[in-house]
Amino acid sequence: MAELFHTTVRVFFRKEGRIKYISHLDIVRCVSRALKRSKLPVWHTLGFNPHIYITFALPLALGYESTCESMDFRLTEELPMETVVSRLNEVFPEGLTAYAAAPAVQKPEEIAWADYEITQEFDRFDGDEVAAALEKWCGRSEIPVRKKGKKGERVIDAAPHFQIQKVEAQGNSLHFDMRAAAGSTLNINPTLLLDAFAEETGFRADWMRVVRTAILTKKLKNFK
Amino acid sequence: MYKLRNVKKDLERVLLQVQKPARYTGGEIGSIVKDASKVDVRFAFCFPDVYEVGMSHLGMKILYAMQNAREDCWCERVFAPDADMEAIMREKGIPLYGLESLDAIADFDIIGFTLQYEMSFTAILNMLDLAGLDIHAANRKNLWPIVVAGGPCACNPEPIADFIDLFLLGEGEELNLELIDLYKSCKLAGESKASFLRKAAQIEGVYVPSLYEVSYHDDGTIRSVLPKDGAPGVVHKRIVKDLDKVFYPEQFVVPFTQAVHDRAMVEVLRGCIRGCRFCQAGFIYRPFREKHGDTVNKNAKALCDNTGYDEVSLTSLSTSDFSELEPLLNEMLAWTEPDAVNIALPSLRVDNFSKELMERVAAVRKSSLTFAPEAGTQRMRDVINKNVTEEEVLHTCQTAFEGGYTSVKLYFMLGLPTEQDEDVAGIIHLAQKVVDLFYHLPNKPKGKGVNVTVSVACFVPKPFTPFEFEPQDTMEELNRKQKILLETVSSKKISVKYHDSPTSFLEAALARGDRRMCPLVEYAWQAGSKLDGWNDYFRAERWYEGAKACGLDLAFYANRRRAYDEVMPWDHLDYGVSKAFLIRENQLAHRDTTTPNCRQKCAGCGANGLLGRACFG
Repeated sequence: MAELFHTTVRVFFRKEGRIKYISHLDIVRCVSRALKRSKLPVWHTLGFNPHIYITFALPLALGYESTCESMDFRLTEELPMETVVSRLNEVFPEGLTAYAAAPAVQKPEEIAWADYEITQEFDRFDGDEVAAALEKWCGRSEIPVRKKGKKGERVIDAAPHFQIQKVEAQGNSLHFDMRAAAGSTLNINPTLLLDAFAEETGFRADWMRVVRTAILTKKLKNFK
Repeated sequence: MYKLRNVKKDLERVLLQVQKPARYTGGEIGSIVKDASKVDVRFAFCFPDVYEVGMSHLGMKILYAMQNAREDCWCERVFAPDADMEAIMREKGIPLYGLESLDAIADFDIIGFTLQYEMSFTAILNMLDLAGLDIHAANRKNLWPIVVAGGPCACNPEPIADFIDLFLLGEGEELNLELIDLYKSCKLAGESKASFLRKAAQIEGVYVPSLYEVSYHDDGTIRSVLPKDGAPGVVHKRIVKDLDKVFYPEQFVVPFTQAVHDRAMVEVLRGCIRGCRFCQAGFIYRPFREKHGDTVNKNAKALCDNTGYDEVSLTSLSTSDFSELEPLLNEMLAWTEPDAVNIALPSLRVDNFSKELMERVAAVRKSSLTFAPEAGTQRMRDVINKNVTEEEVLHTCQTAFEGGYTSVKLYFMLGLPTEQDEDVAGIIHLAQKVVDLFYHLPNKPKGKGVNVTVSVACFVPKPFTPFEFEPQDTMEELNRKQKILLETVSSKKISVKYHDSPTSFLEAALARGDRRMCPLVEYAWQAGSKLDGWNDYFRAERWYEGAKACGLDLAFYANRRRAYDEVMPWDHLDYGVSKAFLIRENQLAHRDTTTPNCRQKCAGCGANGLLGRACFG
């Protein structure tokens, strides 16, 4: 069975615009149909009901956009990586754009951090007011948040697992960057933190945009 | 010229607060976006149910692609929002919008609804209201939007005649284009709505209800239905004569979120040769016409290539009646196997389900098999003209079991005309025979038990069937018969599922209702009926209260036997099958006598008049 697959290719893509409302599971199905349309020589699982085998390094939360997503699948023939990218872009729906493809190097387990750009808008608060409160809230030595896991809810100290930077207020909106723990062992979703912040301070955003901009390893290198 | 409101920004603020927002965003592969300033006619194709249901519907896909193939027309999809989304839309003042442009549909030219089942009537009113339109056709004075409706329930559209400007009878491919042409010329000429409707009524297949006066006898039955302003006395439905030449889409909109039927679909034939007397589809879609295998294969390949679907179904009322099925499957397997595409064959019959056929289906996926004997005893099956014998049912199940299936689902109906208690018990007796058969098979699948699911629907008499004259069993009677079913079951291998009788009762009342029901539909909607096809949202009380408030007796519509010479609310609509034929078939049913299928012998239903030739040969 050696001829089964040639390479595991990792495709990097952006997810932007209204496609952010498509859940991770729906994206998996959508990408698998796109691969079928592309006619790329993609490996199918064996067995009675063969299907395309795709994995995603770090699923993206519903409502988030991203400029650094990746997915893996196996090719059964050797192909120039540019061909993979262009063939995918021909069949991707609006909002998904592949920008690089390469043989997979690292395992998803090596993912440790992710960077996010966050914009919040408030109907009833001033951006400066919220900025001050947020910096104060994030600056504490311990930041207990309730996190839901497979074994139910538990309280963890989020302080060592995230930081915010470049906090800028403009009118009734707030913009900042966040780096947060990511990966299969501990994943801290920005919404979890901002919900906790809103709960404690009352500064709940009426609209929020989150863009994931980087997925990083322990050594803070881009996941590849 | 349009003053359209775009809801894109409004949606941004709310979509993360609702379940499955993918239903409300558009942007799917295959969806068609045009420049609004470069089209003459904007058409909102509305499905009066939620996205997952509407996106499974083949007719919408055909008409969507066909209208968009015209440069001067932009057709968009619109579905009923689920309860959570509707609440937010009403709270934030977001009007109903088209998924392609995200423009509010209130200023579109034509709003078209598809009428798939009676219980969706209130959803239509709700969608018109959400769009910001008056639900009453008479109060909408402008040429746009014109509200039109087609689909199977258009064969008796009287219960919603007050709300819809015109109905499209029969197959839509040619009819829709002719309507759009007329609309466009009236719009460019600045004509009034009244003038457009008068002209539209001259198109074969267009029924403008406001051009007909209905009068009644003292006993509540209809005295007459009279046309005015030059409208035809009888409106004939439209058909497409040659299925190999008619438009068929090469691309579907592929939903992100899973639809009920989420796969490529190719229609292989229209109409049905069987003539089961309860089945409305079997009569209103006549005459029988097939595509050629080559056409089907070409359609299927194009669709799978363009959509990326890994399953294609060959759809029709009875796919095993397709005369080129075996060669077609051979041809298709040549590309479906290497492409890892499943072929699904819904609507198989028990009397021609061969081992070969099963292996073809099984070559791609093995799950449970479903068959519809419809009735438990031979006499009852003869009454409904379901020309299937017990041996055939058992033989089919045996083929399935020997092929490795251990789960079989059998569909039946309860409350059929002339039904006796022994016929009801017969349903379970038949299921028991299937169970016994399994255990007596020497080569049954090893180590597994058998599972026979008996799914029992309440019979609803429908227009344009030989049973249109029949009373529906009362709910008490249906409930009593459901008890008999449960009491007859003596094996744990049989599980019984049955439908809710209030839903069937209302369906029966609406299916054969007349115009006096319009206020009831409005009442039920006002009282909160929006998605009555869903048990979670359905409340029969709203309809009972409404009937009382509107002075209607629902039993008059559901449980009354009609005389053969009674004027039916749909008698001025012609679907090809003659009333004389329906009466003949009704009489045969009462004599427990079957009618051969159309391939064996023409029963003279009259539908071949639409074709202008004999259906076969």
